[in-house]
Amino acid sequence: MSCGNVVILETRDVKRIVKKGDVELTTVDGISYTFRTGRIYNLVGPSGAGKTSFLRLLNRLDEPAGGDILYREKSIMEYKPTELRTKIAMLFQEPFLFQGTVRDNLNICCPDKEIKNMDFHLERVGLKVTMADKDVAGLSVGEKQRVALARALFQEPEVILLDEPTSALDPTSARKIEQLIVKLSRELCLTSIVVTHNPDQAKRLGGETLLLVEGRLVESGETQQVLNEPATDLGRRYIGNDLS
Amino acid sequence: MIELGYYQALISLILVALAIALARIKQIPAEKNMIIGTIRSFVQLIAVGYALEFIFNSEEFWLVVLAVFVMLVVGAYTAGQQDRHNTGGFRIGAISIGTGALVTLGLMLALEIITTEARYMIPLAGMLISNAMNASAVTLDRIGADLKANRLEIETALSLGKNWREASRRLYRNAVKAGMISILNYMKTVGLVALPGAMTGMILAGASPLKAVLIQIIVSYMLLSAVTMTSLITGEMAIRRFFNDAEQFTG
Repeated sequence: MSCGNVVILETRDVKRIVKKGDVELTTVDGISYTFRTGRIYNLVGPSGAGKTSFLRLLNRLDEPAGGDILYREKSIMEYKPTELRTKIAMLFQEPFLFQGTVRDNLNICCPDKEIKNMDFHLERVGLKVTMADKDVAGLSVGEKQRVALARALFQEPEVILLDEPTSALDPTSARKIEQLIVKLSRELCLTSIVVTHNPDQAKRLGGETLLLVEGRLVESGETQQVLNEPATDLGRRYIGNDLS
Repeated sequence: MIELGYYQALISLILVALAIALARIKQIPAEKNMIIGTIRSFVQLIAVGYALEFIFNSEEFWLVVLAVFVMLVVGAYTAGQQDRHNTGGFRIGAISIGTGALVTLGLMLALEIITTEARYMIPLAGMLISNAMNASAVTLDRIGADLKANRLEIETALSLGKNWREASRRLYRNAVKAGMISILNYMKTVGLVALPGAMTGMILAGASPLKAVLIQIIVSYMLLSAVTMTSLITGEMAIRRFFNDAEQFTG
């Protein structure tokens, strides 16, 4: 598949404000960035930096308080949210599978769409083909995350948002998921935007990295550059583990 | 036949005294509420008795409508108290209970099972509204609790391109079923575990048990209809408030 490295998603001065009682908290503060097809983007930063808040704006799971987000050069506000979310899929930190079998879960997104090649859908996320009719209740967390990934990919999205997808996994399973993200981004020309609290994981995933601190984008660029030779004081403090 | 009057009502206070004594011996902290409940039920029922006597004798239809309206407002307020969303509980209660009770009552009038006489309308409306009120309260409570506890499930479904109705379908069905559980259990055991109120009242008042049973059958079907409608409407309206027009979960 030829992957054109074209702009697929663009955020322009995006803001998110959350009300907690009488207090207004700015969790995303004017982030502008351009995301291209087939690339991996890591969102890193200390706890409370606004990584997940930013991610949730991209498929309109939350509403921005300002700015705009363009998907294929058109504001996401112009898409039906249900349609947008099939193109910009999301995977949560803790995978949720609906009651039933692996097959039922893959079918859930598009009941009218027949799964012609279940083997292919399972194998591409590293699951055995014999798992199709297995009850999801008996799966390990790692397997659940793979099923959730297969289910998201079944909709043929162009962008996938991954919110700390390996945080509930053991190191071996986590590495396998990382390798899978790299492989799928390349093979499917999929834009993957990954929230991670682990700079080493971001280095393994490669691509570009956005460093967020207190809702602001403080540094961005090629991952190795941002995480090995940060250009800003905040970047150096983050790498030096000096940001709580 | 035994004549019942104020004397018998006062004598039955012995049972209240017995209940309070038992609660005191076992140190159950309910004594105050038991006394208040006893006085309250006495005053409320006597007042209602006089009011009904007046309405039945006057044969004015607007008084029947007024009585039903008051029941509906109190029922909607009580059901709305169970709302955990803190907005619109009364409105949901009023619309769902009103629809469930009034459509059922209307159908019974249209099918000529009852007439518009106060002696039919008021007791039946009371039964319908109180049962619908309980169903609405349980459904509201269940939805408030379940939606907040199952955020991940809902947002996973939304992220797969589902709309709010599809994303909350399982929770909606569970809540509606919970709202109906009381009437379903009642229908399963009616006559076997307990003789229902209307039937008991008729038998105590001297009616033939067979006639009382026929009335009770109609009442049971009527309650099932009202409770089902009320639970369905409560569930739909209550869930909708947890989502906005952008298919975002705001609960």
